[in-house]
This record gives sequence, C-alpha cells and structure tokens, in this order.
Amino acid sequence: MASPAGKTTAEKLAVKNGITFYRINSDKFKTTRVDLFFVDRLQKERASGNALLPAMMKRGCKSFPSVKELELELERLYGADLDGGIIKKGEMQFIGFHMSHINDKYTFGNEKLFDECSKLLLCMLENPLVEEDGFKRSLFAQERDNLVNYIRSRVNDKMRFSFSRCIEEMCAGEPYAIPEDGTEEDALLLTPQNTYALYGEMMKTYPAYVYISGQVDDASVQRFIDAFPVSGRDGIKKVEPVCAQKEVIDVKRVDESMEISQGKLCMGFRTHVEPTSPDYFPLVVLNGILGGDPHSKLFQNVREKASLAYYAQSVIEKYKGLLVIMSGIEASNRNKAEEIILKQVEDIKKGSISQDEIKATLSSLETGMKSMQDSQGAIVDFFMSQHLTESGEDFESMIEKFKAVTIDEVVRVAQKVQLDTVYFLKPNGNNSGEGAK
Amino acid sequence: MKYSTINYEHLGETLYEYRHESGLKCLLVRKPGYNKKSAMFGTHYGSIDNIFKVQGGDKEIEVPDGIAHFLEHKLFEQEDGNMLDKFSRLGASPNAFTSFNQTVYFFSCTDLFEENFKLLLDYVQKPWLTDENVEKEKGIIGQEIRMYEDNADWRVFFNLLDCLYVNHPVKLEIAGSVESIAKITKELLYDCYHTFYSPSNMVVVVVGDLDPDTVFSMVDEKIHFRDKGTVEKKYPEEPHHLNKDYKEQKLAVSMPLFYMGIKDNVRVTGSDIIKRRIALGIVLTEAMGRTSDLYTRLYDEGLINDSFRFEASVEQEYGFVAWGGQSPDPKKTAGIISEALQTLTTQGISQEAFDRIKRAHRGMFIRSLNSVDNIAREMMDSFFNATSYLDTGRIYEELDLDYVNRVLHEVFKGSPALSVILPQQD
Repeated sequence: MASPAGKTTAEKLAVKNGITFYRINSDKFKTTRVDLFFVDRLQKERASGNALLPAMMKRGCKSFPSVKELELELERLYGADLDGGIIKKGEMQFIGFHMSHINDKYTFGNEKLFDECSKLLLCMLENPLVEEDGFKRSLFAQERDNLVNYIRSRVNDKMRFSFSRCIEEMCAGEPYAIPEDGTEEDALLLTPQNTYALYGEMMKTYPAYVYISGQVDDASVQRFIDAFPVSGRDGIKKVEPVCAQKEVIDVKRVDESMEISQGKLCMGFRTHVEPTSPDYFPLVVLNGILGGDPHSKLFQNVREKASLAYYAQSVIEKYKGLLVIMSGIEASNRNKAEEIILKQVEDIKKGSISQDEIKATLSSLETGMKSMQDSQGAIVDFFMSQHLTESGEDFESMIEKFKAVTIDEVVRVAQKVQLDTVYFLKPNGNNSGEGAK
Repeated sequence: MKYSTINYEHLGETLYEYRHESGLKCLLVRKPGYNKKSAMFGTHYGSIDNIFKVQGGDKEIEVPDGIAHFLEHKLFEQEDGNMLDKFSRLGASPNAFTSFNQTVYFFSCTDLFEENFKLLLDYVQKPWLTDENVEKEKGIIGQEIRMYEDNADWRVFFNLLDCLYVNHPVKLEIAGSVESIAKITKELLYDCYHTFYSPSNMVVVVVGDLDPDTVFSMVDEKIHFRDKGTVEKKYPEEPHHLNKDYKEQKLAVSMPLFYMGIKDNVRVTGSDIIKRRIALGIVLTEAMGRTSDLYTRLYDEGLINDSFRFEASVEQEYGFVAWGGQSPDPKKTAGIISEALQTLTTQGISQEAFDRIKRAHRGMFIRSLNSVDNIAREMMDSFFNATSYLDTGRIYEELDLDYVNRVLHEVFKGSPALSVILPQQD
C-alpha cells in the first residue's frame, strides 16, 4: 500500500457491472471487515420491500439454512459478525450488509478467517431461503410481521418520533417524507413473491459499493472480488444524490399530543444547499455554531442561560439540505423556547458570530474528522459519502475546506436558511406517572 | 519518572501505571496509530452512595437521591465560566456520566491533548458552587428526569430493579426525582464532594497514542489535592428474596415491553468480578442466545423480536441477570423462559457449548479493544473493582466449565421478577 503512514485512504480496486470495490488502508484495527451497500431511490412503493430484504436474508442461506446454524458458524469463527440493515440518506435508501471478524493473529492457531467469513457473506447474498417463486413463506410471514411491528414501534422513542413526524410534515409529498423502513400500509402489500422479485432487482440493477478494511492479504481480497456475484447485472439504475429544493411559502405548524411527561419541539428549516455545493462547508460550520457542541448558541442560551432544557441541538441532513432543531421542554415553556431558538438563528443571519464561536466550531469539526479515522465503520461511511457525490475529498482535504470557512461565508449561507415547519409533541396532561401494581 | 509497564502481548496492548504521591493512580493504555485521545478522571462514587460519614467529622448523613449526578452537573461550572465551553474551544469533546457506583469526567480530542488534560485535572479538583447556580441547575436536571420518564426502555429496567431489591439504593433513579433534587443545597453538595473526591478514591485513565512520561508529568504538575482518608459508605441490609415479583406501568408504546431478571446474591471482588461476568455471559448465551432452542422457539412463535437482549451485571455491592424486549404477550413469554431456565439449571452447560461460546465471547472482547473510548471506560470500571480489564484475555484462558456451572446454579436457583410496560389505551 503506497499511502503515507497515518493517512487513511480508500483505494479503488475494481468496478464490475455497477459494483465498485474499495480497499480501505488502515491496519491499526483488531478486526477485518467488509461493508456492502446497494443503493435505491427512496420511493414509497419500494421502501418497505427494500427494508424487508436484509431481515429475510439474515434468516439463513443454503449452506446454513437457519439462524441457529448461521450463528453456530459465527461462534466457531471467533464471534464473527454478519448483519444487514437499512439507512436513508437524502432521497436514497441503502440496503447495507457487513461482515467482520477478529484478525488472524488473535485466533488460537493463526487461522485464516477472511475466506470463510466472506463466504458466509456471499452465501447470505446469493442463496437466501426460497421456495417455489418466492422467499420461504413461513419465514416471510414472521419477518413481515416484525417489520410492521417495528414501524409501529417508532412511537416508543419520543425524540426520534418527533423528529420523523417533523420531517413527514415538512416534506409531505416529497420522497424524503418516507421513513427509512417505509410505511405500514406498503409493508402489508408485500408477499413472498413480490419481495423476492425485489431481491432480484437489487442483485441485478441497484448500484453497489463494497469496502474491505483491515489486515487481509491482497490474494484473499482478489478471491473475494472474483467470487462476488455480478453475472446478469445489467441496466444498472442511476441513483442521484441531489434532491429538488423547495421554496417555503408559509411556515407550517403542527401540534400533536400524547401521554408523555416532556414536550418535544422540532423546528425544520430548508437550507437550499446541495450536497455537492461549495456552500456545504459553511453550512456545516453554521450548524456547529448554532447547535453542534456545548459552545453552541442553542446549548448556551436554551439550556445554560434559560434553564429550559436538558438538550437543545441542531442537525443537518446533507443530501436533502435540511436543518432541524430539537429540544425537550415543559409544555408551558413552549413559546419562550421557540422565541429563544429563533433568536439564535436570526443572530447568525445578522452576523452576530464571535471569533471564539467560529474557532471552537472549526476545531471541533477537525477533531471529528480525525476521530472518525479511529472507527472502521465511520471510515466507510465517510468514503461512501464522498463516492456518492464524487467529491474526490479525503479526510485531510475535507479538514482544509472546513478551516477555510469564514464568518462572512457562514452569514451569507445563513440568509438562505428558511423556517419551514414547527412540530410540537405535547403532553396531553393525563399522564398519571407510575401505575405500579 | 517511576511507573510500571505491563505488556499484554497476546492482545497487542501496553499498560502504564503511575502512582502520584497523593495516592492517586493514573493508567495509560497506549494506542499507536490512533488519532483520538481519551482521558477520564473518575471517582468511586455513584447514585447508590447515599449514606456515608462526612470526611473530617463523625457525622453520618443520608443525602437526597440524585445528588451524585447533580454534583457531576455542577462541577462543570467554574468561577470563570463553563468547562464544557472551554474544552469545546480547544477542539475537545467533553462530557461526564454518573452511574450506580461511579462519577466520571472525560474528554476526547485529537490535538492539544496537554492543554485539555490540564483543564480536566484542574476543574475536577475545584468545585465552585453558589446558591444561585445550584438553583439554576434544578431546571435543567428536571428536564433530564422528564426525558427518562417517557423512555420506556429506561422505565422497564428501573421497574425491574424495584422488583428485585427491597432496600438497596440500586433501585433508585440515578438522577433522582424532581422532589428529591429540590432538597439539594450547596452545603450538601460540598459534603459529598469533600468525602468522595479524594485521591485514593479516584483514578485517572488515559487512552491514546501518547508518551507515558508526558502524561504522568502533567499529573505531577496539576494534582494538588491531598488524601482525606478512607471513605466510609453504608448500604442497607438487602434480603435474598424479591421485593415483588411483578410490576407494570402504562406508557405511550406500540407493543408491550418486558424485562425479567434474577438477583445474584453472591458478592465477589477483584478479578472474580470479571470472571463472574464472563461466566454469566456464557450462561445467558447458552440459555437464550440466538443459537439456543429457547430463542428459536420464542422468535418463531412471534413472542420476541430483534429487540430481545440480555445482560449480566456483577458489581461489588450488587448483581443481577436480566433479559427482555418487546413482546405481544410478556406473561406467556416469561413463563416459557422460566421453564427453560429450570431445565438448563438441572442439566448444566455442556463442554461443547462452553468451548464454542467462550471462543466467540473472547473474540468479542478482542473486538472491543478497537475503541479508545471503550477501553477507557472499561479500565475505569475495572480499576474501581480492584482488577484490570486487560486481564480479561487471561481470565478467559483460565475459565473452566465447572466454575460456569457452579455460577449457573448459584444464580438461577433464585426466583425471577417481571417488569412490564403496557401500551396506553386511548
């Protein structure tokens, strides 16, 4: 590997029928892993089906036809990990799989684990449990029920629930409103046959990214790439990371109530900054100043000065150009909290940003970029983001771009930020606390 | 500088240990090639330490629930501003947590380690409390408590502890209640601080690509406080039986949630804590892990789903095993689990299962050494238990099946309790 010491790089190894293979160069970790992502456009009628695929595929494969047999094999392989799941980035849905195992030198007899573990991954991918023209019916029924229950259980986590409700209201009619696991009504339309057909589409037409990281020799990597199922892949879908931007006409206000103790306030903004725009860098800095770390305006003013909340923070959705502010408050403080929050956004627009604030934000971003390189998962996520937008950035160049951001640029980008939706999940006042028997 | 060096060759890790003249120990695990550096300054004092003798006097006091956590919040505030803010300005990411038996202040950074480390060592030695800033914090912590009241996973866990324990303060909420924190005053906070924030009751843990001489000389430069003597904590007598075997609560959830557990009445110390944790981990995996017949049956019958999990908690002062997740029928599920556990207790674990699970769990331990933050947390926890997390590899090697089966019998002869969260009906 020709990369300088200490630098984390992703080297493109091969492109085969819409699947790009990368090798992450960093060998300080005690594990070796493979990450694989199939990408689809986020669409209502496909989202639940895509979400069901990893659940079905985790139930076993031809060589290990039950969870029990698969898990026994993983235990034998020194607690290797094989998993799958769904991620949403902007209006794209990722069906992700990953395999990881401890490095050979930590096994009892310097066993070579990569070949066996990657075979398991490929078995899960190529040979799921099917009968006739669909997924195995008994397993399918269980996993579809689980998916429906999972979708219903979104309500359990009030912070996440209020965040997704805010997004649903704000982006109503746009693909981004669709939750990462789709909707209950679409999940109920799934059958073993149409889900298996979707599996076929994924394998044959979704673009895919594969990342191999850790201490594994080149020959093993090559064998894995050669064995990867690419035959029949044709008509690869074009999935664009850029979404349409929408102008805000009126601020939408939605209040909902529930049997809870603490109110959850979520304020959604449109930033009109696309992921490929140079304005993305000042936008990230703006978010840091507004509600990133403890030095941020929201933490300082909503929590420390006004004592209204335990958390008051902001996040950005890079691929959809959104900024969302979240805080947990007493219902009676709602107007006061909203007023203080909006004042912080206005202050940034007016250029009321101190040197200290921008300096702290830039150092915190630099620390974040450097720390990411200490986690195999975070490295993969970083490079996949760059590969999606074809940005060509690596960790070092990204840090330089952030460091070059000035207060003027932050203020300029702030002018584009528009409040779109204010969502409040409020306690309905009947919660009687503990009902112990 | 005089410090000891321990090489864990089979793990590829090196530990440096330094004892400051005040009695404060400092541990460094060096991680070559890592950018991130994590430093923690912790005290062996948590939410369960509610009755103690105040240092420098004979008075034994009982303090309001949630005071250790309250003090954690307040230590960030210094006469010249908020510490969170200062770390943040140096590019570090600071935080703190209070558990049942520890209060830990920490930061992680990639640059300016020395500046950040000095800040950490400084502020933990310098509380700055006023009547006004204590009052102000009650609003913030009040909202933290409210947040947990709505958290079903948290509630189902604490309701189980309330079933398991009759008197032990582990059953109390770490942050206390809005009512209990209302009673907290500046004076009480100082009593807690002066009792528990003493060199021999604390430890500094650093993990990262750092030189031991640099780290330990900063400890020499910055540590000024002096030891105040042995800490005298008191815990109420805990009977072996359950407080109650069932508790339910209604919350806004889509499906019932359950958590079931058994109290472990055997107390161990030192490396036996790690050994017992490992043994119980193997027992639980064999009983209800994904390779067990029990898991397969419950999953196939739709009685559990992916949210199902289990844990073994072994501490000096208390211990329990617990498991649960979402279930459409918690009582039926609990019944099937109880039966299966009785069978396992009668039959014991086989040599084949023991070898297989031990091998997998040892692999997961190796995996856990990838994370700087995780190593720091585990080193701190094991230090307070008078042992070292890095000995875990050796403990796996020495572990035998007889010990595991003995622990299985000791724990699973106890009766289980069940905590259930039911969906709120509209």
